[in-house]
Amino acid sequence: MLDSFQNIVVSSFPNILEVEFKYINRKYLKVILINITFVYLSLLAAVFFLEYKNILGLEEVTFWLFLFITILFIYTIFIKIIGFKRRKFLVREKDISYKKGVFYKKITTVPFNRIQHVEIDQGPISRFFNLASLSVFTAGDSSDDLKVNGLLKDEAQQIKEYISNQIDG
Amino acid sequence: MVSKSSFSQFSKQSKKGIIIIYLDILYKIIKALWVLVFVFIQNFSKTLDNNLSYIYFYLGFFFIFLLLIAFLKYHYFQFKIENNYFILKKGIIKKTNTSIPFDRIQNINFKQNIIQQIINVYEVNIETAGSSKAEISIKALSYEQANALKKTITINDKCNNYIWELDDDNKPNTINNPEIFVEQKPLLKISVMQLLKVSLTENHLKSLLLLLAILFGFYQQITELFNGFGEGELLDNYISENTTNFETNIVLIFILGLLFILVSVISSFVRVFLRHFNLTVYIKNNALEIYQGLTTKKSFILKKEKVQHITVSDNPIKRQLGISFITFKQALSGNVKKKQDKIIKLVGCGQDQVLAIKNLLFSNEKFENFTKNYSSYYFKVRLYLRSIIFLIIINSVLYFIFKYNFVFWINILLLPIFIISIELTFKKRFYLFTNDTLLIGSGTIETHKTYLPFYKVQNVKLKQTFFQSTQNIIDIVFQTASGKIVIPCIREDEAFKIYNYTLFMVENNKYSWM
Repeated sequence: MLDSFQNIVVSSFPNILEVEFKYINRKYLKVILINITFVYLSLLAAVFFLEYKNILGLEEVTFWLFLFITILFIYTIFIKIIGFKRRKFLVREKDISYKKGVFYKKITTVPFNRIQHVEIDQGPISRFFNLASLSVFTAGDSSDDLKVNGLLKDEAQQIKEYISNQIDG
Repeated sequence: MVSKSSFSQFSKQSKKGIIIIYLDILYKIIKALWVLVFVFIQNFSKTLDNNLSYIYFYLGFFFIFLLLIAFLKYHYFQFKIENNYFILKKGIIKKTNTSIPFDRIQNINFKQNIIQQIINVYEVNIETAGSSKAEISIKALSYEQANALKKTITINDKCNNYIWELDDDNKPNTINNPEIFVEQKPLLKISVMQLLKVSLTENHLKSLLLLLAILFGFYQQITELFNGFGEGELLDNYISENTTNFETNIVLIFILGLLFILVSVISSFVRVFLRHFNLTVYIKNNALEIYQGLTTKKSFILKKEKVQHITVSDNPIKRQLGISFITFKQALSGNVKKKQDKIIKLVGCGQDQVLAIKNLLFSNEKFENFTKNYSSYYFKVRLYLRSIIFLIIINSVLYFIFKYNFVFWINILLLPIFIISIELTFKKRFYLFTNDTLLIGSGTIETHKTYLPFYKVQNVKLKQTFFQSTQNIIDIVFQTASGKIVIPCIREDEAFKIYNYTLFMVENNKYSWM
């Protein structure tokens, strides 16, 4: 009986886990924090509104609701700040990778020759900081492909052009 | 024959197509409004006589109006072929123009339902791997037209230089094309007896679930209607009255259980016979030709390079009978709803056929020579933890419904089921790989072996929870054009090797993935 790992005879191919990944732009942390704060404030407003109009009869639990939302808010901010350092990406000669996660780590690599199209988009807050996100799509159920948030607009544009050249060439 | 329909000019469907389109419209309307129709018929007797003629008049007008629509739909549905593009324009008010390059065409399938069989026209489906908008269905073509269309497209498709024909019995035609079609024994031909064996050994639980899903759909439609009439409570009362009776009557539950088993056996029986009746498979020019179906006859050509991965499955009883089934997964388009159509299943394959298909797709790779690598012990721990949570939920839900300690006895039944299925799931999970192809074993009662060539992978992922990282264990996920394949909980160093190797294979392969 043979060991499957004997099939890996080429020893010279690049090991992605030894390559240093790049950090995304520091300004993106601000975008994340602003976004979370915005969601938090709208939740607060919703609870205030419910209490004021007394729609659901929530008087007794309102305090706990506020507390719960606030704890959730602080927890999310905490996780995002820690996790921000773990958001890294890497563009190699033939593929693009992204990794993230503190308690749930994830790393994805998409080879260029499987990419169907590349997209750059900018949210309103990202636009203010001149940031953009880069998404690549492969065939099939594309919901689970790769998206790098928090790149400088120019950098995203460069990567997009690089990938497009690689696909066509 | 070919000169008559070379498709350089815009051509329409067969004239009989109007009937098909008309019935299709009617079917869609009835499907959407069947409850209303039902109510209407029920109240029909109550309507006054002088109103009756009005109703007949409007109904008649309505049906003639639909006929007009069908005619217009037929009239504006035109297609042609130009510069290796298939061009289709259709639509009465909203006009659409679709053009598909030949090399994007994944499959051309013929299909005949009962009505199409009676008036002798073929439905031609052109499948692409692109967006769902590019899926084209031509409802009614004469046999000559259908074949000519297929011929034109397949001749021009560069990776596909063979021709095939169908005669009326859905068998390859040897008369029209003697020099091209070589008389050949089918790889697989399923007789009624074999089909009987297959259907009896199906996963009946799955058939039952499918049936329940359909019934649930009906139930929802009915409740919606009753709610619309403000009679929702009535229905709920009726149902809860009956369910309280069930609770007290164990005998009834027992009978119901037997009935369920019977129903599920019958439903898998019907399902298998409808879909796979007279299943015949030929291997030709690196492709599989498949013919099957009872009321709706279907035929496809499955090109070797379009198959993303295959799964060979059996269960304990099927293994005793020496039969297994093979599932072929092709690239999916964006439309997830149509997923089922792209999964082609060959039931009742014997050892030889499985071997032949494996050889066709993976050219004599010797999977047997490699030792199986198993998932880490952590995988079992994870399964146990998940089932414990699931059990707690079941128990508390049951307790809150019945408020009676007696319900905890259900654990005596559930625990062994959970333990056995976890142990089996763990035992059947393995992976190994040859130079080019990954083989993954899975299953609980059924045994599945999935063969995935490395170069078909679209992207790879590694996932690790906090608990996994303390054990140096990781999940590896392969995303293909036809779905995800996971190897759960393997050692980090092995996963890294596979990760790098997969990327190397994908980035340096010379074949196209479809």
